[in-house]
Amino acid sequence: MIVCENLTKRFGHFTAVDHVNFAVSKGSIFGFLGPNGSGKSTVIRMLCGLLEPSDGRATIAGHDVARETERIKSLIGYMSQKFSLYDELTVHENLMFYGRLYGLSGAALLQRRDELVALAHLEPYLQRRAALLSGGWRQRLAMACALVHKPSVLFLDEPTAGIDPVARRELWDLLFEFSSMGMTLFVTTHYMDEAERCSHVGYIYMSKLVVCGEPDDLKHLPVVNPPGTKRLDVTCDHVTVGLQALRHLPGVRTATVFGQSMHLLVEGSLTGETIRVELAKMNIARADIRPIAPSLEDVFVALTTGDGNGGVK
Amino acid sequence: MTTLFRGFNAILYKEFLVVLRDPLTLFFMFFPPLIEMIAFGYALDNDVKHMAMVVLNEDRTVESRQIIDRFVNTQTFRVVGDVQSVEEMAVAIRRGKAYVGLQIPPNFTRDLRAGRNAQVQMLIDGSSSTIASSALNTALGVAFRESVFRLLGETGRRELPVEVRPQILYNPAMRSPNFFVPGVIGVVLQIATTFATAMSLVRERERGTLEQLLVSPLSRWGLMLGKIVPYLCIGMVMACGLIAIMNRLFHVPIAGSLTALFAAIIVYIFCLLSLGLLVSTRAQNQIQALQMTMIFILPSVFFSGFIFPRETMPWIFYAIGAVLPTTYFIELARAVILRGASLVDFWQHLVILTAMGLALFSLCALRFRKKIG
Repeated sequence: MIVCENLTKRFGHFTAVDHVNFAVSKGSIFGFLGPNGSGKSTVIRMLCGLLEPSDGRATIAGHDVARETERIKSLIGYMSQKFSLYDELTVHENLMFYGRLYGLSGAALLQRRDELVALAHLEPYLQRRAALLSGGWRQRLAMACALVHKPSVLFLDEPTAGIDPVARRELWDLLFEFSSMGMTLFVTTHYMDEAERCSHVGYIYMSKLVVCGEPDDLKHLPVVNPPGTKRLDVTCDHVTVGLQALRHLPGVRTATVFGQSMHLLVEGSLTGETIRVELAKMNIARADIRPIAPSLEDVFVALTTGDGNGGVK
Repeated sequence: MTTLFRGFNAILYKEFLVVLRDPLTLFFMFFPPLIEMIAFGYALDNDVKHMAMVVLNEDRTVESRQIIDRFVNTQTFRVVGDVQSVEEMAVAIRRGKAYVGLQIPPNFTRDLRAGRNAQVQMLIDGSSSTIASSALNTALGVAFRESVFRLLGETGRRELPVEVRPQILYNPAMRSPNFFVPGVIGVVLQIATTFATAMSLVRERERGTLEQLLVSPLSRWGLMLGKIVPYLCIGMVMACGLIAIMNRLFHVPIAGSLTALFAAIIVYIFCLLSLGLLVSTRAQNQIQALQMTMIFILPSVFFSGFIFPRETMPWIFYAIGAVLPTTYFIELARAVILRGASLVDFWQHLVILTAMGLALFSLCALRFRKKIG
């Protein structure tokens, strides 16, 4: 559905997006991740025809985004970072405006409005001005507006930034529903739990696409699981104290705190007993140690801090 | 046609709602122009009447009082006090208590009766050139009349040898509001309308809604037209208000046809809105839009013939005036309001304004890139 080939964007001497290649198949939820300023929004803007690529090309449903910009506009929906709504207009009026913008009128317009209101559960707020909506409702309205012309691809640029957890959960439920109806979703996010829900993820770092694939495949990459190592979860009291001790223990490659526990990447030969002895020196009597699979966060950390590709240039 | 202006109806709907929902913007569109109009209209009144005069009458005769009355009867002067010395008179002028001092020397009546040259001295505050020249002209006129009538009496002739009978057409009372107020309408309309559209696209760019519009199938022409039409309506309402003020408050009669006047106004406002929109397509934020708009407004005040006649300007300013819509509108408005001209007499001005408007509008649509960054 979406194909990028060597997609590149330069602003003067700065390369914001550097030869990015990926493909998104129809009906999938593609999670596009990366730190702030890594080029996520620039990629989305190029795919929506808002920015001209400096090099390479991208197609949506076979249409070149740079040359057939008008053609792809009926195919795509775009929800920008700021939930761009007209604050002076009510929920109803925002929907009517976007409907008219996409050429709807009369009964068809009203019918579509009703469908969107039902879909996003906006009934109670129809006559409220957009300015007075809370973040979660603004986001729902923005999404309803982006869907007014039934696009086959929906781009969402950080749709959950600044939204409470319940609204976040509900948005994802909706996204899965759209996906099941065959809509292709392209979502940028900072949240790892959201990334885990995507059918495919891509990670962009310093303008380059570092990795792209299904979350499970990425977790089994050799870079993430170097030969002769294992990942352990150590749950104990005084985690931060324990972390200091274990970081310097021979055989421990990386150690990170995860809430009340630590995630370690250690040599295969390092035993749980050695770890317990080390922790006991710091007066930590009890430790619960179990092997774990890498999370997506582990994947991205491994890819961006390791000596492999994507390292700091 | 439908594809060229695709999305026009949506923008029109939205723009009307946004404008009407924002009472503050509406207030700032309407209120300052009305105040400016009233302030300009009064402030630019050049007609000098009843200027303060102090009198030093050292003669104290019937004749000397008569000559003072002649001055007062012109309506130009009003006596605010008597002084006892020339120094006192000078002090009164320096302190701003009077613009003019009239001194009648002790031998005035004697000289007059003896048929000698009788002199009256007048001190005039020259710091305001308009007031000074008005005072000077009136004073010379009084002296001249007085001399002529005395000579007539001596020679026994009943009529003047030569007499000019001036007849002033259009604005016979030579009131300056009649001259200025039509120009004020032009300038005030420019300030209000240009800013309105200059801000509109920039605001959308700042808020991020422009991006949302750009991913839609909205056409450039549809966007521009949808942005202009609501403000055109508001501008016309404002123009009606300004014309009512001109007519009722400043008592400037409209000699020509209202249809001609409104045809000129609608084309002029279209021009100004397109100009504002052009600023909006270039400016990145509202501050820039503000500054760019000022670049167009200041020359329109100075070089359009609004205050200073264009004919006496250096060629460069004359040339600048020739490309400003305001210049053509003011000429047209004065012709219609004061001289009762019809559009047949001034169709070139209307054609030029229309051409400017269409050119600016097309430039907006063509310059506007449906890309960001």
